[in-house]
Amino acid sequence: MNKLYLWGIIITIAMLGATYATVGYQKGGLNDDIVNMLAIAGAVALVIITVFVVIKYVRQMQTDQATGELADESWDNIGEYKNPVPFGWAIMFLGTIIWGMWYFIIGYPVDAFSQIGQYNEEVAEKNAKFEKEYANIKGEKLVEMGESVFLAECVVCHGANADGIDGESADLNRRIDEESVKYVINHGSNNKLLGTEMPMPDRNGLFNANTGALISDAEIDAVAKYVANGFPADDKEGAAVFAGVCSSCHGADGRGMAYVAPNIREYTSELIVNVLTHGKKGAIGTMPSLERLNAKQKEAVAAYVISISKGE
Amino acid sequence: MFHWLEKHPFFFAVGVFVVIAFAGLIEIVPNFAQASRPVIGTKPTTLLEQAGRDVYIKNSCNACHSQLIRPFKAETDRYGHYSLSGEYAYDRPFLWGSKRTGPDLHRVGNYRTTEWHENHMRDPKSVMPSSIMPGYPWLYTNKTDINTAYATQLTNAQFFGVPYNKPIPMKDGSTAVVKMAGSVAEAHKMALEEAKEVVSRMKDQDVKDAVANGDIPEIVALIAYLNSLK
Repeated sequence: MNKLYLWGIIITIAMLGATYATVGYQKGGLNDDIVNMLAIAGAVALVIITVFVVIKYVRQMQTDQATGELADESWDNIGEYKNPVPFGWAIMFLGTIIWGMWYFIIGYPVDAFSQIGQYNEEVAEKNAKFEKEYANIKGEKLVEMGESVFLAECVVCHGANADGIDGESADLNRRIDEESVKYVINHGSNNKLLGTEMPMPDRNGLFNANTGALISDAEIDAVAKYVANGFPADDKEGAAVFAGVCSSCHGADGRGMAYVAPNIREYTSELIVNVLTHGKKGAIGTMPSLERLNAKQKEAVAAYVISISKGE
Repeated sequence: MFHWLEKHPFFFAVGVFVVIAFAGLIEIVPNFAQASRPVIGTKPTTLLEQAGRDVYIKNSCNACHSQLIRPFKAETDRYGHYSLSGEYAYDRPFLWGSKRTGPDLHRVGNYRTTEWHENHMRDPKSVMPSSIMPGYPWLYTNKTDINTAYATQLTNAQFFGVPYNKPIPMKDGSTAVVKMAGSVAEAHKMALEEAKEVVSRMKDQDVKDAVANGDIPEIVALIAYLNSLK
Protein backbone atom coordinates (compact mmCIF):
# COMPACT_ATOMS: atom_id res chain seq x y z
CA MET A 1 0.00 0.00 0.00
CA ASN A 2 1.08 3.50 -0.74
CA LYS A 3 2.78 5.15 2.22
CA LEU A 4 0.62 8.21 1.68
CA TYR A 5 -2.64 6.28 2.11
CA LEU A 6 -1.30 4.66 5.25
CA TRP A 7 -0.60 8.07 6.76
CA GLY A 8 -4.05 9.22 5.69
CA ILE A 9 -5.72 6.35 7.53
CA ILE A 10 -3.61 6.88 10.65
CA ILE A 11 -4.43 10.60 10.76
CA THR A 12 -8.13 9.88 10.13
CA ILE A 13 -8.26 7.43 13.03
CA ALA A 14 -6.37 9.81 15.30
CA MET A 15 -8.68 12.73 14.55
CA LEU A 16 -11.84 10.66 14.89
CA GLY A 17 -10.52 9.30 18.19
CA ALA A 18 -9.87 12.82 19.43
CA THR A 19 -13.37 13.90 18.37
CA TYR A 20 -14.94 10.89 20.07
CA ALA A 21 -13.02 11.56 23.25
CA THR A 22 -13.88 15.28 23.27
CA VAL A 23 -17.59 14.77 22.66
CA GLY A 24 -17.88 11.59 24.68
CA TYR A 25 -16.52 13.07 27.86
CA GLN A 26 -18.71 16.14 27.69
CA LYS A 27 -21.84 16.62 29.74
CA GLY A 28 -24.58 14.61 28.09
CA GLY A 29 -22.03 12.35 26.39
CA LEU A 30 -22.73 10.52 23.18
CA ASN A 31 -25.88 8.65 24.05
CA ASP A 32 -28.31 11.19 25.41
CA ASP A 33 -27.80 14.07 23.06
CA ILE A 34 -28.86 14.05 19.43
CA VAL A 35 -26.84 17.23 18.80
CA ASN A 36 -23.67 15.49 19.97
CA MET A 37 -24.42 12.56 17.68
CA LEU A 38 -24.92 14.92 14.74
CA ALA A 39 -21.63 16.66 15.61
CA ILE A 40 -19.84 13.29 15.57
CA ALA A 41 -21.39 12.35 12.23
CA GLY A 42 -20.39 15.73 10.76
CA ALA A 43 -16.88 15.39 12.14
CA VAL A 44 -16.49 11.89 10.61
CA ALA A 45 -17.55 13.16 7.21
CA LEU A 46 -15.34 16.25 7.39
CA VAL A 47 -12.24 14.42 8.52
CA ILE A 48 -12.53 11.73 5.85
CA ILE A 49 -13.19 14.20 3.06
CA THR A 50 -10.38 16.51 4.20
CA VAL A 51 -7.79 13.78 4.50
CA PHE A 52 -8.52 12.22 1.13
CA VAL A 53 -8.74 15.53 -0.72
CA VAL A 54 -5.36 16.45 0.75
CA ILE A 55 -3.99 13.08 -0.37
CA LYS A 56 -5.30 13.68 -3.89
CA TYR A 57 -3.52 17.02 -4.24
CA VAL A 58 -0.30 15.85 -2.62
CA ARG A 59 -0.20 13.01 -5.17
CA GLN A 60 -0.93 15.45 -7.98
CA MET A 61 1.96 17.66 -6.83
CA GLN A 62 4.24 14.64 -6.79
CA THR A 63 3.39 13.53 -10.32
CA ASP A 64 2.21 16.64 -12.25
CA GLN A 65 4.33 17.98 -15.07
CA ALA A 66 4.25 21.66 -15.95
CA THR A 67 2.86 22.25 -19.43
CA GLY A 68 1.44 25.19 -21.33
CA GLU A 69 2.53 28.57 -22.63
CA LEU A 70 4.40 30.92 -20.32
CA ALA A 71 3.36 34.55 -19.92
CA ASP A 72 5.81 37.24 -21.12
CA GLU A 73 6.61 38.58 -17.70
CA SER A 74 8.82 36.91 -15.20
CA TRP A 75 9.59 38.22 -11.73
CA ASP A 76 12.94 37.16 -10.39
CA ASN A 77 12.72 34.34 -12.92
CA ILE A 78 9.40 33.06 -11.55
CA GLY A 79 7.13 32.56 -14.53
CA GLU A 80 3.35 32.30 -14.90
CA TYR A 81 1.37 29.95 -17.15
CA LYS A 82 -1.37 31.31 -19.34
CA ASN A 83 -3.87 28.80 -17.96
CA PRO A 84 -7.61 29.31 -18.49
CA VAL A 85 -9.55 30.53 -15.43
CA PRO A 86 -10.71 27.54 -13.35
CA PHE A 87 -14.36 26.72 -13.94
CA GLY A 88 -15.49 27.37 -10.36
CA TRP A 89 -13.81 30.76 -10.35
CA ALA A 90 -15.47 31.69 -13.63
CA ILE A 91 -18.88 30.78 -12.22
CA MET A 92 -18.25 32.87 -9.11
CA PHE A 93 -17.04 35.79 -11.24
CA LEU A 94 -20.20 35.72 -13.37
CA GLY A 95 -22.31 35.31 -10.24
CA THR A 96 -20.69 38.39 -8.73
CA ILE A 97 -21.49 40.39 -11.87
CA ILE A 98 -25.14 39.32 -11.73
CA TRP A 99 -25.34 40.09 -8.01
CA GLY A 100 -23.69 43.45 -8.69
CA MET A 101 -26.36 44.32 -11.25
CA TRP A 102 -29.12 43.29 -8.85
CA TYR A 103 -27.55 45.33 -6.06
CA PHE A 104 -27.09 48.34 -8.33
CA ILE A 105 -30.67 48.32 -9.64
CA ILE A 106 -32.75 46.88 -6.78
CA GLY A 107 -30.66 45.93 -3.76
CA TYR A 108 -29.28 49.32 -2.84
CA PRO A 109 -31.88 51.80 -4.11
CA VAL A 110 -35.08 49.85 -3.36
CA ASP A 111 -34.38 47.12 -0.89
CA ALA A 112 -31.64 48.63 1.31
CA PHE A 113 -31.83 48.53 5.08
CA SER A 114 -32.99 51.79 6.57
CA GLN A 115 -33.28 52.60 10.24
CA ILE A 116 -36.29 54.80 9.49
CA GLY A 117 -37.93 51.88 7.70
CA GLN A 118 -37.21 49.72 10.70
CA TYR A 119 -38.64 52.43 12.96
CA ASN A 120 -41.81 52.63 10.84
CA GLU A 121 -42.25 48.88 11.06
CA GLU A 122 -41.74 49.00 14.81
CA VAL A 123 -44.32 51.77 15.22
CA ALA A 124 -46.88 50.06 12.96
CA GLU A 125 -46.45 46.82 14.86
CA LYS A 126 -46.77 48.45 18.30
CA ASN A 127 -49.76 50.54 17.19
CA ALA A 128 -51.53 47.51 15.76
CA LYS A 129 -50.90 45.65 19.00
CA PHE A 130 -52.19 48.60 21.01
CA GLU A 131 -55.32 48.90 18.85
CA LYS A 132 -56.02 45.22 19.17
CA GLU A 133 -55.41 45.02 22.88
CA TYR A 134 -57.32 48.15 23.88
CA ALA A 135 -60.04 48.32 21.22
CA ASN A 136 -62.84 47.82 23.74
CA ILE A 137 -61.26 49.17 26.89
CA LYS A 138 -63.67 51.01 29.15
CA GLY A 139 -64.69 51.67 32.74
CA GLU A 140 -62.08 50.96 35.42
CA LYS A 141 -59.47 49.83 32.90
CA LEU A 142 -59.79 53.05 30.91
CA VAL A 143 -59.34 55.10 34.09
CA GLU A 144 -56.26 53.04 34.95
CA MET A 145 -54.78 53.69 31.52
CA GLY A 146 -55.58 57.36 31.95
CA GLU A 147 -53.79 57.40 35.27
CA SER A 148 -50.64 55.90 33.78
CA VAL A 149 -50.66 58.42 30.92
CA PHE A 150 -51.30 61.19 33.44
CA LEU A 151 -48.33 60.11 35.54
CA ALA A 152 -46.09 60.14 32.48
CA GLU A 153 -47.27 63.27 30.68
CA CYS A 154 -49.38 65.54 32.87
CA VAL A 155 -47.77 65.21 36.27
CA VAL A 156 -44.91 67.65 35.50
CA CYS A 157 -47.35 70.57 35.49
CA HIS A 158 -50.50 69.35 37.21
CA GLY A 159 -48.78 67.48 40.03
CA ALA A 160 -49.19 63.94 41.28
CA ASN A 161 -52.46 64.89 43.02
CA ALA A 162 -53.63 66.84 39.95
CA ASP A 163 -53.97 69.88 42.22
CA GLY A 164 -51.96 72.11 39.87
CA ILE A 165 -49.01 72.50 42.29
CA ASP A 166 -49.95 75.74 44.06
CA GLY A 167 -51.56 77.41 41.09
CA GLU A 168 -48.83 76.62 38.56
CA SER A 169 -51.46 74.90 36.45
CA ALA A 170 -55.14 74.09 36.61
CA ASP A 171 -56.43 72.17 39.63
CA LEU A 172 -58.13 69.19 38.01
CA ASN A 173 -59.94 68.15 41.15
CA ARG A 174 -62.48 70.84 40.34
CA ARG A 175 -63.94 72.04 37.06
CA ILE A 176 -62.85 75.67 37.20
CA ASP A 177 -61.56 78.20 39.72
CA GLU A 178 -62.77 81.73 40.38
CA GLU A 179 -59.71 83.35 38.86
CA SER A 180 -60.25 81.53 35.57
CA VAL A 181 -63.93 82.42 35.35
CA LYS A 182 -63.08 86.10 35.84
CA TYR A 183 -60.27 85.89 33.29
CA VAL A 184 -62.50 84.31 30.67
CA ILE A 185 -65.24 86.90 31.19
CA ASN A 186 -62.72 89.75 31.03
CA HIS A 187 -60.71 88.49 28.05
CA GLY A 188 -63.07 86.22 26.19
CA SER A 189 -61.93 82.78 25.13
CA ASN A 190 -60.99 81.04 21.92
CA ASN A 191 -59.61 77.68 22.87
CA LYS A 192 -61.24 75.26 20.45
CA LEU A 193 -62.78 73.49 23.43
CA LEU A 194 -65.47 72.09 21.15
CA GLY A 195 -62.95 71.09 18.53
CA THR A 196 -63.55 74.08 16.28
CA GLU A 197 -63.12 77.83 16.63
CA MET A 198 -66.03 79.04 18.74
CA PRO A 199 -64.90 82.27 20.34
CA MET A 200 -66.55 83.59 23.45
CA PRO A 201 -66.71 87.41 23.58
CA ASP A 202 -64.94 89.38 26.29
CA ARG A 203 -66.85 91.49 28.84
CA ASN A 204 -67.65 94.09 26.18
CA GLY A 205 -69.84 91.53 24.44
CA LEU A 206 -71.53 89.97 27.45
CA PHE A 207 -74.94 91.43 28.20
CA ASN A 208 -77.02 90.65 31.23
CA ALA A 209 -80.50 89.89 29.93
CA ASN A 210 -81.97 90.75 33.34
CA THR A 211 -80.59 94.29 33.51
CA GLY A 212 -80.12 94.96 29.79
CA ALA A 213 -76.59 96.29 30.45
CA LEU A 214 -73.05 94.95 30.06
CA ILE A 215 -71.89 92.68 32.84
CA SER A 216 -70.56 94.67 35.80
CA ASP A 217 -67.60 94.03 38.11
CA ALA A 218 -69.87 93.04 40.97
CA GLU A 219 -71.77 90.65 38.74
CA ILE A 220 -68.51 89.11 37.51
CA ASP A 221 -67.43 88.46 41.11
CA ALA A 222 -70.80 86.95 41.94
CA VAL A 223 -71.00 84.65 38.94
CA ALA A 224 -67.34 83.61 39.26
CA LYS A 225 -67.99 82.49 42.82
CA TYR A 226 -71.15 80.71 41.74
CA VAL A 227 -69.52 78.79 38.86
CA ALA A 228 -66.31 78.02 40.73
CA ASN A 229 -68.20 76.62 43.72
CA GLY A 230 -70.11 74.22 41.51
CA PHE A 231 -73.47 76.00 41.09
CA PRO A 232 -74.64 75.95 44.75
CA ALA A 233 -78.43 76.17 45.04
CA ASP A 234 -78.34 78.71 47.87
CA ASP A 235 -76.28 81.29 45.90
CA LYS A 236 -79.26 83.22 44.50
CA GLU A 237 -77.22 86.25 43.40
CA GLY A 238 -74.74 84.25 41.33
CA ALA A 239 -77.50 82.09 39.91
CA ALA A 240 -79.36 85.20 38.73
CA VAL A 241 -76.29 86.57 36.93
CA PHE A 242 -75.58 83.17 35.40
CA ALA A 243 -79.15 82.91 34.13
CA GLY A 244 -78.97 86.44 32.71
CA VAL A 245 -75.51 86.34 31.10
CA CYS A 246 -74.14 82.84 30.65
CA SER A 247 -77.07 80.47 30.32
CA SER A 248 -77.93 81.49 26.75
CA CYS A 249 -74.81 79.66 25.57
CA HIS A 250 -73.67 77.47 28.46
CA GLY A 251 -77.17 76.21 29.22
CA ALA A 252 -79.38 76.86 32.23
CA ASP A 253 -77.54 74.24 34.28
CA GLY A 254 -74.06 75.14 32.95
CA ARG A 255 -73.69 71.83 31.18
CA GLY A 256 -73.08 73.49 27.82
CA MET A 257 -74.67 73.17 24.41
CA ALA A 258 -73.47 71.11 21.49
CA TYR A 259 -71.55 73.22 18.91
CA VAL A 260 -72.07 76.37 21.01
CA ALA A 261 -70.36 76.32 24.38
CA PRO A 262 -68.62 73.79 26.60
CA ASN A 263 -69.82 72.32 29.85
CA ILE A 264 -68.53 74.49 32.69
CA ARG A 265 -70.12 72.51 35.47
CA GLU A 266 -68.19 69.29 35.09
CA TYR A 267 -65.54 67.79 32.85
CA THR A 268 -66.64 65.97 29.74
CA SER A 269 -64.62 63.57 27.68
CA GLU A 270 -65.01 65.73 24.56
CA LEU A 271 -63.73 68.83 26.38
CA ILE A 272 -60.61 67.16 27.74
CA VAL A 273 -59.80 65.45 24.45
CA ASN A 274 -60.01 68.84 22.72
CA VAL A 275 -57.78 70.52 25.30
CA LEU A 276 -55.22 67.74 24.88
CA THR A 277 -55.42 68.10 21.10
CA HIS A 278 -55.32 71.89 20.80
CA GLY A 279 -53.73 73.08 24.02
CA LYS A 280 -55.22 75.93 25.99
CA LYS A 281 -54.53 79.51 26.99
CA GLY A 282 -56.07 81.00 30.10
CA ALA A 283 -55.65 82.80 33.40
CA ILE A 284 -52.80 80.60 34.58
CA GLY A 285 -50.87 80.44 31.32
CA THR A 286 -50.50 78.32 28.23
CA MET A 287 -50.99 74.59 28.20
CA PRO A 288 -49.23 73.02 25.21
CA SER A 289 -51.07 70.56 23.02
CA LEU A 290 -50.30 66.89 23.56
CA GLU A 291 -50.89 65.85 20.01
CA ARG A 292 -48.62 62.84 20.26
CA LEU A 293 -51.07 60.96 22.50
CA ASN A 294 -53.31 58.71 20.43
CA ALA A 295 -57.09 58.92 20.50
CA LYS A 296 -57.48 56.12 23.02
CA GLN A 297 -54.94 57.64 25.37
CA LYS A 298 -56.68 61.01 25.25
CA GLU A 299 -59.99 59.34 26.01
CA ALA A 300 -58.32 57.54 28.89
CA VAL A 301 -56.88 60.76 30.34
CA ALA A 302 -60.36 62.27 30.08
CA ALA A 303 -61.84 59.33 31.97
CA TYR A 304 -59.17 59.69 34.64
CA VAL A 305 -59.64 63.44 35.04
CA ILE A 306 -63.41 63.01 35.23
CA SER A 307 -62.98 60.37 37.89
CA ILE A 308 -60.68 62.51 40.07
CA SER A 309 -62.87 65.58 39.61
CA LYS A 310 -65.65 63.54 41.15
CA GLY A 311 -63.34 62.73 44.06
CA GLU A 312 -62.97 59.05 43.21
CA MET B 1 -0.58 50.50 -18.48
CA PHE B 2 -1.49 47.50 -16.31
CA HIS B 3 1.95 46.00 -16.77
CA TRP B 4 3.38 49.27 -15.68
CA LEU B 5 1.10 49.30 -12.59
CA GLU B 6 2.12 45.75 -11.74
CA LYS B 7 5.72 46.85 -11.60
CA HIS B 8 5.05 49.90 -9.41
CA PRO B 9 3.39 48.74 -6.21
CA PHE B 10 3.00 52.23 -4.75
CA PHE B 11 0.99 53.54 -7.70
CA PHE B 12 -0.89 50.27 -7.81
CA ALA B 13 -1.94 50.84 -4.17
CA VAL B 14 -3.01 54.39 -5.01
CA GLY B 15 -5.06 53.09 -7.94
CA VAL B 16 -6.77 50.50 -5.74
CA PHE B 17 -7.58 53.17 -3.17
CA VAL B 18 -9.07 55.46 -5.82
CA VAL B 19 -11.29 52.71 -7.23
CA ILE B 20 -12.59 51.66 -3.81
CA ALA B 21 -12.93 55.21 -2.52
CA PHE B 22 -14.95 56.11 -5.62
CA ALA B 23 -17.60 53.54 -4.72
CA GLY B 24 -17.83 55.03 -1.24
CA LEU B 25 -17.89 58.52 -2.67
CA ILE B 26 -20.91 57.98 -4.91
CA GLU B 27 -22.84 56.18 -2.16
CA ILE B 28 -22.05 58.49 0.74
CA VAL B 29 -21.65 62.01 -0.59
CA PRO B 30 -25.02 62.52 -2.39
CA ASN B 31 -26.99 61.13 0.58
CA PHE B 32 -25.00 63.20 3.00
CA ALA B 33 -25.48 66.38 0.96
CA GLN B 34 -29.21 65.70 0.74
CA ALA B 35 -29.64 65.01 4.45
CA SER B 36 -27.64 67.98 5.66
CA ARG B 37 -29.69 70.54 3.76
CA PRO B 38 -32.00 72.48 6.09
CA VAL B 39 -35.38 70.84 6.56
CA ILE B 40 -38.34 72.91 5.34
CA GLY B 41 -39.47 74.95 8.31
CA THR B 42 -36.06 75.11 10.01
CA LYS B 43 -35.31 78.68 10.98
CA PRO B 44 -32.06 80.17 12.27
CA THR B 45 -32.18 81.48 15.83
CA THR B 46 -33.36 85.02 16.43
CA LEU B 47 -31.13 87.33 18.44
CA LEU B 48 -32.63 86.56 21.85
CA GLU B 49 -32.77 82.85 21.07
CA GLN B 50 -29.10 82.99 20.06
CA ALA B 51 -28.32 84.70 23.37
CA GLY B 52 -30.32 81.98 25.13
CA ARG B 53 -28.33 79.37 23.27
CA ASP B 54 -25.15 80.96 24.65
CA VAL B 55 -26.67 80.79 28.16
CA TYR B 56 -27.49 77.13 27.52
CA ILE B 57 -23.86 76.45 26.60
CA LYS B 58 -22.49 78.62 29.39
CA ASN B 59 -24.41 76.65 32.02
CA SER B 60 -23.45 73.34 30.37
CA CYS B 61 -27.03 72.23 29.87
CA ASN B 62 -25.71 70.00 27.11
CA ALA B 63 -23.70 68.00 29.66
CA CYS B 64 -26.93 66.43 30.94
CA HIS B 65 -29.45 67.07 28.16
CA SER B 66 -29.19 65.77 24.62
CA GLN B 67 -30.85 67.35 21.61
CA LEU B 68 -31.17 64.29 19.45
CA ILE B 69 -34.26 62.09 19.34
CA ARG B 70 -33.49 58.65 17.99
CA PRO B 71 -35.97 56.76 15.80
CA PHE B 72 -37.28 54.38 18.45
CA LYS B 73 -40.94 54.26 19.41
CA ALA B 74 -40.10 54.67 23.09
CA GLU B 75 -38.35 57.97 22.29
CA THR B 76 -40.78 59.35 19.74
CA ASP B 77 -43.66 58.63 22.13
CA ARG B 78 -41.95 60.72 24.76
CA TYR B 79 -40.22 63.48 22.81
CA GLY B 80 -42.00 63.72 19.44
CA HIS B 81 -40.75 63.13 15.90
CA TYR B 82 -37.22 61.75 15.62
CA SER B 83 -34.56 64.31 14.76
CA LEU B 84 -33.46 64.91 11.16
CA SER B 85 -29.95 65.99 10.21
CA GLY B 86 -31.29 68.98 8.28
CA GLU B 87 -32.78 70.38 11.47
CA TYR B 88 -29.26 71.09 12.73
CA ALA B 89 -28.27 72.96 9.57
CA TYR B 90 -27.97 76.27 11.43
CA ASP B 91 -26.64 74.87 14.72
CA ARG B 92 -23.16 76.12 15.30
CA PRO B 93 -21.83 74.41 17.36
CA PHE B 94 -24.29 71.51 17.43
CA LEU B 95 -25.64 70.58 20.85
CA TRP B 96 -26.47 66.92 20.28
CA GLY B 97 -25.00 65.97 23.63
CA SER B 98 -23.75 62.51 24.41
CA LYS B 99 -25.40 61.82 27.74
CA ARG B 100 -28.94 61.94 29.03
CA THR B 101 -28.94 62.56 32.74
CA GLY B 102 -32.05 64.63 32.09
CA PRO B 103 -34.52 64.23 29.24
CA ASP B 104 -33.91 65.15 25.62
CA LEU B 105 -34.67 68.78 24.78
CA HIS B 106 -34.75 68.79 20.98
CA ARG B 107 -38.51 69.51 20.87
CA VAL B 108 -39.02 70.82 24.38
CA GLY B 109 -40.79 73.90 22.96
CA ASN B 110 -43.68 71.68 21.92
CA TYR B 111 -44.60 70.49 25.38
CA ARG B 112 -43.19 72.95 27.93
CA THR B 113 -44.19 76.57 28.35
CA THR B 114 -42.66 79.83 29.49
CA GLU B 115 -44.52 79.61 32.79
CA TRP B 116 -43.28 76.10 33.39
CA HIS B 117 -39.64 76.97 32.63
CA GLU B 118 -39.83 79.97 34.92
CA ASN B 119 -40.82 77.83 37.89
CA HIS B 120 -38.64 74.91 36.91
CA MET B 121 -35.35 76.73 36.40
CA ARG B 122 -35.48 78.33 39.84
CA ASP B 123 -36.31 75.13 41.70
CA PRO B 124 -36.87 72.01 39.56
CA LYS B 125 -38.23 70.02 42.51
CA SER B 126 -41.15 72.41 42.88
CA VAL B 127 -42.67 71.20 39.61
CA MET B 128 -41.14 67.71 39.42
CA PRO B 129 -40.63 66.28 42.90
CA SER B 130 -38.45 63.41 41.66
CA SER B 131 -36.16 65.70 39.65
CA ILE B 132 -32.42 65.55 40.33
CA MET B 133 -31.69 68.74 38.41
CA PRO B 134 -30.16 71.57 40.45
CA GLY B 135 -31.76 75.02 40.51
CA TYR B 136 -30.27 77.84 38.44
CA PRO B 137 -31.30 80.91 40.48
CA TRP B 138 -28.53 83.14 39.08
CA LEU B 139 -30.22 83.10 35.68
CA TYR B 140 -32.83 85.44 37.16
CA THR B 141 -30.26 88.13 38.01
CA ASN B 142 -27.41 87.68 35.50
CA LYS B 143 -27.71 89.94 32.49
CA THR B 144 -27.81 88.49 28.99
CA ASP B 145 -24.81 89.13 26.75
CA ILE B 146 -26.52 90.50 23.64
CA ASN B 147 -23.29 91.77 22.04
CA THR B 148 -21.80 88.28 21.79
CA ALA B 149 -25.03 86.84 20.46
CA TYR B 150 -25.15 89.56 17.80
CA ALA B 151 -21.53 88.89 16.85
CA THR B 152 -22.35 85.19 16.52
CA GLN B 153 -25.29 86.01 14.29
CA LEU B 154 -23.12 88.22 12.08
CA THR B 155 -20.47 85.52 11.81
CA ASN B 156 -23.05 82.88 10.96
CA ALA B 157 -24.60 85.10 8.32
CA GLN B 158 -21.37 86.27 6.70
CA PHE B 159 -19.13 83.21 6.85
CA PHE B 160 -21.57 80.31 6.97
CA GLY B 161 -24.35 81.69 4.79
CA VAL B 162 -27.09 81.34 7.41
CA PRO B 163 -30.08 83.04 5.76
CA TYR B 164 -30.90 86.00 7.98
CA ASN B 165 -33.13 88.66 6.40
CA LYS B 166 -33.96 86.22 3.62
CA PRO B 167 -37.21 84.34 2.98
CA ILE B 168 -37.18 80.81 4.39
CA PRO B 169 -39.73 78.26 3.17
CA MET B 170 -42.10 77.02 5.87
CA LYS B 171 -44.08 73.79 6.10
CA ASP B 172 -47.40 75.37 5.12
CA GLY B 173 -45.94 76.77 1.89
CA SER B 174 -45.51 80.30 3.16
CA THR B 175 -42.17 81.95 3.79
CA ALA B 176 -40.81 83.44 6.97
CA VAL B 177 -38.03 85.93 7.49
CA VAL B 178 -35.76 85.93 10.52
CA LYS B 179 -34.53 89.47 10.93
CA MET B 180 -31.02 90.38 11.92
CA ALA B 181 -30.16 93.83 13.19
CA GLY B 182 -28.01 96.17 11.11
CA SER B 183 -26.18 97.72 14.07
CA VAL B 184 -25.42 96.95 17.70
CA ALA B 185 -27.89 99.58 18.92
CA GLU B 186 -30.63 98.12 16.74
CA ALA B 187 -29.71 94.64 17.98
CA HIS B 188 -30.27 95.66 21.60
CA LYS B 189 -33.61 97.12 20.65
CA MET B 190 -34.68 93.97 18.82
CA ALA B 191 -33.62 91.73 21.69
CA LEU B 192 -35.60 93.87 24.10
CA GLU B 193 -38.71 93.59 21.91
CA GLU B 194 -38.40 89.81 21.93
CA ALA B 195 -37.76 89.79 25.67
CA LYS B 196 -40.94 91.78 26.31
CA GLU B 197 -42.98 89.16 24.57
CA VAL B 198 -41.49 86.35 26.68
CA VAL B 199 -41.79 88.33 29.90
CA SER B 200 -45.49 89.01 29.30
CA ARG B 201 -46.05 85.32 30.14
CA MET B 202 -43.80 85.37 33.23
CA LYS B 203 -44.67 86.09 36.85
CA ASP B 204 -41.39 87.14 38.54
CA GLN B 205 -41.72 90.87 39.26
CA ASP B 206 -37.95 91.49 39.40
CA VAL B 207 -37.52 89.98 35.94
CA LYS B 208 -40.42 92.04 34.61
CA ASP B 209 -38.95 95.22 36.12
CA ALA B 210 -35.50 94.47 34.69
CA VAL B 211 -36.90 94.08 31.18
CA ALA B 212 -38.98 97.23 31.60
CA ASN B 213 -35.72 99.03 32.47
CA GLY B 214 -34.02 97.69 29.36
CA ASP B 215 -32.01 94.84 30.94
CA ILE B 216 -32.60 91.25 29.94
CA PRO B 217 -32.02 88.60 32.64
CA GLU B 218 -30.52 85.38 31.28
CA ILE B 219 -33.64 83.38 32.14
CA VAL B 220 -35.63 85.33 29.54
CA ALA B 221 -33.15 84.54 26.77
CA LEU B 222 -32.93 80.90 27.84
CA ILE B 223 -36.73 80.52 27.81
CA ALA B 224 -36.88 82.15 24.37
CA TYR B 225 -34.33 79.61 23.15
CA LEU B 226 -36.07 76.61 24.76
CA ASN B 227 -39.41 77.70 23.33
CA SER B 228 -37.84 77.82 19.87
CA LEU B 229 -36.82 74.15 20.07
CA LYS B 230 -39.60 72.46 18.15
